[in-house]
Amino acid sequence: MSDTETEFKSVITPPPADQIVLETRHLNFFYGTHQSLFDVSIPVKRNGITALIGPSGCGKSTLLRTMNRMYDLYPGQRAEGEILIDGENVIGPKIDVTALRAKVGMVFQKPTPFPMSIYDNVAFGVKLYHKKSKAEMDEVVETSLRRAALWDEVKDKLNKSGLSLSGGQQQRLCVARGIAVEPEILLLDEPASALDPISTAKLEDTLEELKRDITIIIVTHNLQQAARLSDYTGFMYLGKLIEFGPTETLFVNPKCEKTSDYIGGRFG
Amino acid sequence: MALALSRATRRKLASQVFVAVCIGAAALALLALSLIMFSLFTKGFGGMNLMVFTADTPGPDSAGGLRNAIVGSVIMCALAMMLAVVIGVLAGTWLSEIGGNSPYGHVVRFLNDVLLSAPSILIGLFIYELLVRPMHGFSAWAGAIALGILATPIVTRTTEDILNLQPNALREAGMALGASQWVTVRKIIWKAAGAGLLTGGLLGFARISGETAPLLFTALNNQFFSLNMNQPMASLPGVIFQFAMSPFDTWQELAWAGALLITVTVLAINILGRWIARDTDHK
Repeated sequence: MSDTETEFKSVITPPPADQIVLETRHLNFFYGTHQSLFDVSIPVKRNGITALIGPSGCGKSTLLRTMNRMYDLYPGQRAEGEILIDGENVIGPKIDVTALRAKVGMVFQKPTPFPMSIYDNVAFGVKLYHKKSKAEMDEVVETSLRRAALWDEVKDKLNKSGLSLSGGQQQRLCVARGIAVEPEILLLDEPASALDPISTAKLEDTLEELKRDITIIIVTHNLQQAARLSDYTGFMYLGKLIEFGPTETLFVNPKCEKTSDYIGGRFG
Repeated sequence: MALALSRATRRKLASQVFVAVCIGAAALALLALSLIMFSLFTKGFGGMNLMVFTADTPGPDSAGGLRNAIVGSVIMCALAMMLAVVIGVLAGTWLSEIGGNSPYGHVVRFLNDVLLSAPSILIGLFIYELLVRPMHGFSAWAGAIALGILATPIVTRTTEDILNLQPNALREAGMALGASQWVTVRKIIWKAAGAGLLTGGLLGFARISGETAPLLFTALNNQFFSLNMNQPMASLPGVIFQFAMSPFDTWQELAWAGALLITVTVLAINILGRWIARDTDHK
């Protein structure tokens, strides 16, 4: 099998146009001189779960990290093309990155609780944007922890350090922290890869709940997880989006040979 | 066959000799340390009484204490640490979080390392030229600044090292919520590194609390109790230096008491620091 250009012709089955909340157009990404995303155009449906799958190094995490401009932190990394969120190109120089990141939250591969109490972890992001009374903040913290399905486990120890929680609880704390600022979109970069199966199941339940009013984009190595959770799936390979469409179609009846090879476990 | 055997035995023997030499060296160092501690405690306790803390340094062959020297050391070390912590933490943060990889950053790090190993007497002379001569007099200010310059590179170095140990994911997590770099560093990274930063401060303090040379040209010494920062001020190391060299028994006893005092204080501060560090790590 030769990896020729023609073989990677993308097959994109987008969601209905009026349901698209985020869309990349001809997105290229560079780490210095090394290009790692090639002409990626992905349409993401509002309020649902979109999964990104593909072998290691295919660019799925890179793609995710362009969407909240995480790459801004590192000199030498740059993106070309367009990322439209609610019709606005967020790659443009005039974008207020702080406001963008309030709108597009992120949860990382390893849990990253801040070295402060559970309560302060959730309140941290909110305090950046709003001045709230104690009572209002209490409510935000409780609501966020409830939505992240963590409230019952921590309600009696909100003043304990976030680091005292188990890995799975820490990850849900990070989800709670992310949704406390009421983002439209939540990016998750392999959020379950450091968790045991029970914690993973709890996290997935949480995401199922959240997708009713938040758009979730999840990068995962776990194909079953993508199949279980997501409404749409994108398969990436060598920095290109090979196939994108409704999860069921992509898994049951993939249009590209590469996709079926990957899903069938023939490589990756 | 015989050769192979002898090679194996030779290796084993070499290994055993090496381990024995290591143990011997460690034992020698420990022996020296325990001898120092032993003489310090036996001789120091002899001169230790309440008067050490209540009376000022006496004249030759009369009774007295170390009150002026203790207070002087505390004041000058505290001021020095304020200077060193503010400059050192900010400089270390800059090196770790912002400019450490730029050419200028490399120069700053190199100069800091040079300063780290600069002889303390040179720093005393530097402040003498910079402050004491233009102001026509020795002063506690000059002493505190000299000690501060000595402690600053230590704090800078430990700050940078400790901040570098913090996971990048923590920085990204802060920024991903929309926090600025400054807020992320201040509220998350410094907090995560708190115990280590404290250790850096304590290391700096432990270093300067026993320094004599930089004070000789700056704060000089003072026979009397003084809180005036514009005047010469007594310090424990200075008094130890003066009294230990003297022919008077009372002075020599006080010098031992002072040496014990410094040692115990540094020990106590180190233990306290470790205790705080452990406490915050396992909350």
